[in-house]
Amino acid sequence: MKNTGVIFFPAFDWAISPTHPEREERLLYTRDQIFEEGIMDLPNIHEFKPRLAQKKDIARVHFCVPNVEAQITDAHLVSAGSALVIADAVMNGEVDNGFSIARPPGHHAMTVAHGNRGFCNINNEAIMIEYIRKKYGIRKIAVVDTDVHHGDGSQEIFYDDPDILFISFHQDGRTLYPGSGFVYELGGPMAWGSTINIPLLPETTDEGILRVLDHLVLPVLKEFEPELIVNSAGQDNHYTDPLANMRFTAHGYAELNRRLAPDIAVLEGGYSVETALPYVNMALLMAMAGIDYSNLREPDYKPERFKENPRNIEYIDQLVSHQLFNFRSRQQHIEENRQKYGREFSEQRNIYYDTDGISEDQSRRLRVCRACPGWRRIDSSARHRTGKMYHVFCISVPTFACPDCQKEAMDAYKDMAAYQNNFDFVYLQDRANDRYIALDVAKGREEVYE
Amino acid sequence: MLIGIDVGGTYTDGVLFDNLQSQVVKVVKVPTRSEQLQSSLMDVLDRLLSDQDMKGIQRIVLSTTLVTNLLATNAAEPPALILIPGPGLPFEYQLTFPHSYIVKGSIDFRGRETEKLNRQEIEGVIETIRASGLKKIAVVGKFSNRNPQHEHTVRDIITAKFPEAEVGIGSELAGQLNFIRRIATSYYSLMTRKRWTTFAHDIEQAMQKRGLDNVPLDILKADGGTMPLQHALQYPCETILSGPAASTMGAKAITGQNANAVVLDIGGTTTDISLLLDGQPLYASRGASINGQYTHIKAISTRSLPLGGDSPVCFDPQKGIYIEKIRKGPAACFGGGNATVTDIFNCKYDLHIGDADKSRQFVQQLQVESGVALPELIDLVEDNVMQQLMDALRNIFTEWENEPAYRVWEVVHDRKFKVKRIIGIGAAASAIVPVLAALYKVNSFIHELSPIANALGAALARPTLAFNMHIDTQKGTYFTDYDGICGNLDKGSSLQMVDAHKLAREVMQKLAEQRGLAEYADEAEFIREEQFNMIRDWDRIGKIFELGMQIKPGFIKEFEEGSI
Ligand SMILES: [Zn+2]
Ligand SMILES: [Zn+2]
Ligand SMILES: [Zn+2]
Repeated sequence: MKNTGVIFFPAFDWAISPTHPEREERLLYTRDQIFEEGIMDLPNIHEFKPRLAQKKDIARVHFCVPNVEAQITDAHLVSAGSALVIADAVMNGEVDNGFSIARPPGHHAMTVAHGNRGFCNINNEAIMIEYIRKKYGIRKIAVVDTDVHHGDGSQEIFYDDPDILFISFHQDGRTLYPGSGFVYELGGPMAWGSTINIPLLPETTDEGILRVLDHLVLPVLKEFEPELIVNSAGQDNHYTDPLANMRFTAHGYAELNRRLAPDIAVLEGGYSVETALPYVNMALLMAMAGIDYSNLREPDYKPERFKENPRNIEYIDQLVSHQLFNFRSRQQHIEENRQKYGREFSEQRNIYYDTDGISEDQSRRLRVCRACPGWRRIDSSARHRTGKMYHVFCISVPTFACPDCQKEAMDAYKDMAAYQNNFDFVYLQDRANDRYIALDVAKGREEVYE
Repeated sequence: MLIGIDVGGTYTDGVLFDNLQSQVVKVVKVPTRSEQLQSSLMDVLDRLLSDQDMKGIQRIVLSTTLVTNLLATNAAEPPALILIPGPGLPFEYQLTFPHSYIVKGSIDFRGRETEKLNRQEIEGVIETIRASGLKKIAVVGKFSNRNPQHEHTVRDIITAKFPEAEVGIGSELAGQLNFIRRIATSYYSLMTRKRWTTFAHDIEQAMQKRGLDNVPLDILKADGGTMPLQHALQYPCETILSGPAASTMGAKAITGQNANAVVLDIGGTTTDISLLLDGQPLYASRGASINGQYTHIKAISTRSLPLGGDSPVCFDPQKGIYIEKIRKGPAACFGGGNATVTDIFNCKYDLHIGDADKSRQFVQQLQVESGVALPELIDLVEDNVMQQLMDALRNIFTEWENEPAYRVWEVVHDRKFKVKRIIGIGAAASAIVPVLAALYKVNSFIHELSPIANALGAALARPTLAFNMHIDTQKGTYFTDYDGICGNLDKGSSLQMVDAHKLAREVMQKLAEQRGLAEYADEAEFIREEQFNMIRDWDRIGKIFELGMQIKPGFIKEFEEGSI
């Protein structure tokens, strides 16, 4: 039996729009199930009250354009804040592990936030992880994204960070939003191999997913030796989910969480509000608390309906050995990249925001550093839903930046602030000193979150 | 004339209150004879009535520990439990009580049957129960509050096969969400119902004998409201914890202000603490707890500290000066044989309580024994008392402030308990409460009626009634968590929030009439309202409404709040 902390925050007064999947009803039946079971009354279950995340917590991860207020509602602050409350309870030793069942979700939100992508504005896990690192000095953390959609936001945020192991299994990007998460996406040049994608074929069952877990995810975690494991716990792999095509069951989710034993789980997607969520959330909660879940099942669950296709097992085994090889050769790759790119690595990108119909152009530069993960610059432009065009410049200093990178980044910001430029906003995200600045160029005014 | 009687563990207090003059006419206090509660009660009643005109008596309210005692001593015959849990938590979590039998069958959160009952299995269980000699059976199903059909069927089978058995079902006894609490509430209700009925008949007869058969007789509940004696037959468990509820309502009556207040009932050996939020008593968030089990019984939240006016102040070479938890007798100023908390405050603040010289004498003795200088010794004890009280208060405040929230609005508007006044009742309150209030920089309030606030609270409390309603327009049904009241909707999927309100009001009106409290039905208010669009494939297929309605605790119309 484990002491498990829970936040249940259904946001019964918030929706993206009345008929949107991300609406008030989403956790209604989960509420019914959890409360009717009476699981919150058990002595080893501890229910916590959510709180609002601070703007600073958000600025630590995101460049919100033009500012934090513009990209969020109070609901986002509560959802992110819920993860922070759970993180504190776990880190302070009040509980052994914790589960934040809060909405709205976050794993599609990327570093620069111009609007809503895949129902997400800000990334709850990333905000929680950078908060934990800053507050508790933890460096190595693993995120296992078990949502059916590729966690492209979390991947992007941690892409250049060799101390965050990001593993995502999901329905193949050729058959599902957001269309990414392929095996060759393995991390930035200096963090190569700490991003592991596992695109699965539609119709994959418990057996297939647990096979990936046992033969790839768990061994990789063991070798990476993270100080903390976070489950980015989407529930849309379920066989009844209306937006995806997988065949995962509540029992499979429980089994996965028992074996993975995450320190913290944060709810992501999952839109089968009646036939999946009540059972999957119970399953996760029971597995995390060490409660026997053999009596938990969906009303229409019949084991014989969920037999794995032998051809899929073959595919999975190949995938597993391929990604194990990649992960194990990461040091060598990073060394090669260092030779190859010298001082700087740069790339261009276009990012599409499906919910808001925004198209963003980015040009990114990473300082390749021997002593630390290196500081980053992002030049980003996008036309917002309001019709206004924003062109912004972002400077990001990692938490464990070396003094040289800190100084270079600071000088770069000062240069930008001192001279004429054609950006609307210039941002400095100094995680090393926990200081976040948004400079409104036209007005010459700085807003500082500290 | 109004009568309130509180049968407590140690004393039975009674008060006769003239509501036209708004003053207490008579007060009676006798030791409670726990084996014969009725006799203590009748004794107090007779003394209150001794020189009264019976025609002037408008209402009698009783607060009694009968059920509390039955539950604490396990003196009543236990019921067997037939449980229909279906999938979910392991069954071991529901097998809290002996003689529990689990049968097949399952209902989901929308009230759909997801597994059928097995008649043969149920008949077998009934035979086993009959063979074990038990005659009471509680039938409780998971989600029976969304569809009681399974519980009804099992009850019908019992009635046919075992007609002598007394049966109760969960959806009627405790319809709120939470299966485990429903089991506990149903179990305890059935366990105590027979004894309570006997008690009620005895009381009714005694009233008749005194020519009081036309005077309304109400029972105080744990939530600080009353219910008619007849109605209490069905819900005996609601009478538990009515003592602290009586005190809290009494404190509210004598202060006559709707502010945030702390109520401290400081007796000889314990201090009971409750909170008034804008004048409304705070409820225990998980319901009353019986023998460590949470239930669906609404109860005023009270916390007990083992600290009172008679708590002995002692010296030990290892521990130094300390406060003992176990009472050794009355305070020295009341003829006791050792220094107590009351004596310390008596000395420090010159309170002239009882024989103040005695207080001084025993405290000085303690000084000699311990070698601690007198002012220091007194401050030490005072600090200790204040620390204990302040720690308890801080815990209660933060616990309330940290209660889970499910809406954005609730998190944005963070709760903060700001004390406006501290109300002291109970014998030792006058010594301790003013000092505590000074530390919080708020006013203390101690009224001459404080010592009988419990009986006064009972006399003046009005009836309360509360239910939640769950409306599912796609299914065309509504369910309440009260008495298993449910029905079909005339309007179906076109039902709007205004219609939902109307429906809830109708149910409230009907219930209030049945229970003889129609005059309060207008005062019922909505304490919760939620509506959910049910969307499938981007189309709206229906709505779910969740309403909570309540006649909240307060005072009867014959009493004007603030008039004391
Ligand atoms: Zn994923
Ligand atoms: Zn998803
Ligand atoms: Zn560096």
